[in-house]
Amino acid sequence: MSWLPKKKVVVPVDFSGESEHSIAVALELVADPSELYLVHVLFPLDNVSPGVLLGDMTDEKRAEAVRDSFDKLLQQLGVTGVNIEVLFGKPGLEVAEYAARIGADLIAIPSHGYDGVTRLLLGSVAERVIRHAECSVLVLRRSDAE
Amino acid sequence: MKIHPFKTAPVILGCLLFFVSVAALWAQPSNEDPQPANASAGENAETAGKEDAKKPLTGMRRIEGKVDDAFAKFNEKVGEVMFYDVASLFRDEGVEDEDKVVVPLAVLWLVMGTLFFTVYMGFINIRGFKHAVMITAGRFDSPEDAGEVTHFQALTAALSATVGLGNIAGVAIAVSIGGPGATLWMIVAGMLGMSAKFVECTLGQKYREVRPDGRVMGGAMYYLSKGLTEMGIGPIGKALAIVFAVLCVGGSFGGGNAFQVNQSLDAVQATIPALANYRWVYGLVMTVMVGIVIIGGIRRIATTAEKIVPLMCGVYVLAALAILLMNVTEIPAAFALILSEAFAPSALKGGAIGVLVVGFQRAAFSNEAGVGSAAIAHAAAKTDYPAREGLVALLGPFIDTVVICTMTALVIVITGAWDNPDPAYVAMRTAKEGAALTSHAMGGAIPGFQYVLAVAVILFAYSTMISWSYYGERCWAYLFGDRASMSYRIIFLVFVFLGSIVSATNVLDFGDLMILGMAFPNILGVVLLAPKVKAELKDYWTRYKAGEFPQNK
Repeated sequence: MSWLPKKKVVVPVDFSGESEHSIAVALELVADPSELYLVHVLFPLDNVSPGVLLGDMTDEKRAEAVRDSFDKLLQQLGVTGVNIEVLFGKPGLEVAEYAARIGADLIAIPSHGYDGVTRLLLGSVAERVIRHAECSVLVLRRSDAE
Repeated sequence: MKIHPFKTAPVILGCLLFFVSVAALWAQPSNEDPQPANASAGENAETAGKEDAKKPLTGMRRIEGKVDDAFAKFNEKVGEVMFYDVASLFRDEGVEDEDKVVVPLAVLWLVMGTLFFTVYMGFINIRGFKHAVMITAGRFDSPEDAGEVTHFQALTAALSATVGLGNIAGVAIAVSIGGPGATLWMIVAGMLGMSAKFVECTLGQKYREVRPDGRVMGGAMYYLSKGLTEMGIGPIGKALAIVFAVLCVGGSFGGGNAFQVNQSLDAVQATIPALANYRWVYGLVMTVMVGIVIIGGIRRIATTAEKIVPLMCGVYVLAALAILLMNVTEIPAAFALILSEAFAPSALKGGAIGVLVVGFQRAAFSNEAGVGSAAIAHAAAKTDYPAREGLVALLGPFIDTVVICTMTALVIVITGAWDNPDPAYVAMRTAKEGAALTSHAMGGAIPGFQYVLAVAVILFAYSTMISWSYYGERCWAYLFGDRASMSYRIIFLVFVFLGSIVSATNVLDFGDLMILGMAFPNILGVVLLAPKVKAELKDYWTRYKAGEFPQNK
C-alpha cells in the first residue's frame, strides 16, 4: 500500500467521539472530500418495541434520521462534499461488503468498541472488517488510548 | 469467505446449552426405584419420591422434575434473603405461632419505598391525576419532540405488560388467602405505587439515550448507571444497573413469560377441560404465535393484541360492574366487611399486618410499581419534559390495581367465592387456582362470561409476554450488545414452551422472585436520585400552573 492519495476511502461512522477523529484522518488520505465514503450501519428493527408495534418507527425513518445526524456532524466539522450511506445488517460484514461493492481502496476504522466479556463473546467491529475486507484496512488507534 | 466464530456464538451457545442439558437429563439411566430404599439411587429416587411414587417418571415429566428441583434449590437460597422475615428481629422468642407476624423483606422494601416517594413528591399521585389524564388524552402531544410513541401509546405498551394474570388470578388468590381485607391494602398499594411509577418513569425519560437513528433507549439500567455516575458514585450505579438487567432478563423468562403461559392455560382449562391432556399443544401454539412475531417479524398480530388490551380491560371492568350492580344490595355489607377485615382479619394469622403483606405483594406483582420495568416503555414517549411522561405513567398502577384488581376483588367478595363452602370452591382455593376461581365467580353471575374471560386471559397473557420480551431484550442488549438479540429471542421461546409443560410451582416462583428482586436495585437507586426528580417536577409544575404549555384542542 502506498501512502499516495487514495481513490476511494470508506469510513464507518458510529457518531462517537472516535468518528470525528477518523473522519479527520481519512480526509488527509484523499485528494478530494468526494472520494470519502462515510457509512453508518443500523441493526435491523426489532419486532416488539412500542415504537414498532404502536408507533410509526420504520427503517426508512431511521435511515432519514441517520442522514440528519450526518448533516449535523459534517456541519460541525466544517466538512462538505463527502458521500454518506446508511446500511442495514451486521456492522463489520456490511462495511466490508459495501467497500467491495464500490471498489474502495481503503477502509479507515477506529479500534474502539467493546471491552471485557462482551469483547470476548462478540469481537469488535474492526476485527470483523479486517476479516471480511477485500481491500486494505487502516485501524486507527483510539484517541484516548494510553 | 471465512466463517466468523464470534458472530453466531451467542445463538449457538444458548441453543447448545439448552439442548445439552435436556439431552443429559434424558440420557440418564431411567431405572427409577419407586421405593427409594436404595441409597445409591440417589438423586433419581429423590426426584421420583417427590412425584407420584407409583408411576415411574418418563419423558417430559422426568425433565420437569429435574428442572423443578434445580429451580427449587435456587429459589430457596434467593428466597431466604428476599423474603427474610424482618419481623423476626423484633419478636420475642416466647410468642406463640398463632400470633406470628411475618414481614418479608421484599414487601417491607416496597412499602417503605412507595410510601417515601408519595410523601416526598407531595402526593403527586393525587394532585397530578387530572393533568395526567389530560396529557394521556393527547392535549399536550407535540409530535416534533424526540421519541417514538405518543403518551397514550407508551401507556398502552406499559399497561399491556402489567395487565395480565396477576389481575385475574393473583387477586383471587390474595382475597382467598388474606380475606376481603386484602382488597383495601391492594388499593392502598396501588395508590402508593402511582408515586413510585411517577418517579421511575420520570427518571427513565431524563436519562434515556437518543440514538443517531432516532431510536430511544431508556429504563432503569440507564438511569441507575448514568444518574448515579452524575452523583459521583458511578461504580455503584453501574453495578446496580447490571443487577437490575440480569434480574429483568430472569423476570422476562419467568413472571413475564412462563408464568403467563402456565396460568392462562390453567384458566382456559377451567373452561375447556379437554385441554388438560394436551397442555403441550397450547404451549406449542403460544410458542409459534410469539415466535412469528419476535423472530419472524410478522408484527401485525402483536400490534393487534396490544391495541385490543385497553378495550379488553374495559370489557372486563364493565362485566365486573354489572355483577356488582346485580348484587347492589350487598355492596354496603361487602364494603363494611372489607374495612373490618383489613384491620382485624378473622381468618388470617398475623392480623392487619398479615393482610397488608398479602395485599401489597399481590399489588406489586400486578402493577410492577417500584420494580422499574415500565420505565423502559415510558422512555420511548415523545416529549421534552421527563416529568410529563412520569405523570402519564402514574395512571398505570391506577388502571391496573386501583381499578382492575379492585373489580376482581369485589367480584370475589360479593359473589362469596372467597368463602363459599361448596367443595368445588374449597378445592380451587386450596389449590390456589386463582384464575379458575374468578372464572367460576364471574361465569356464575353472567352465564357464558367464562368464555369471554378465557379469550381475555389468552390475550392478556399474550400481550404481557410480547411486552416483557421487549423489556428482557433491552436488558439483554444492555448486557451483551444489540447484536446478541437473537440468542435472547430463542431462549425466550424455550421458556414459552416450558411454561405449558411445567406444572411445577418452583419454576413459577422463580419468575416472581426475579421480578420482585428488581425492586432492590431499582428502589435503592431511585431513592438516591429522588431529589433530581423533585427538582424536575417543581420546574414542570410551576410552568404548567403558569400556563406556559400550549394545549391542543
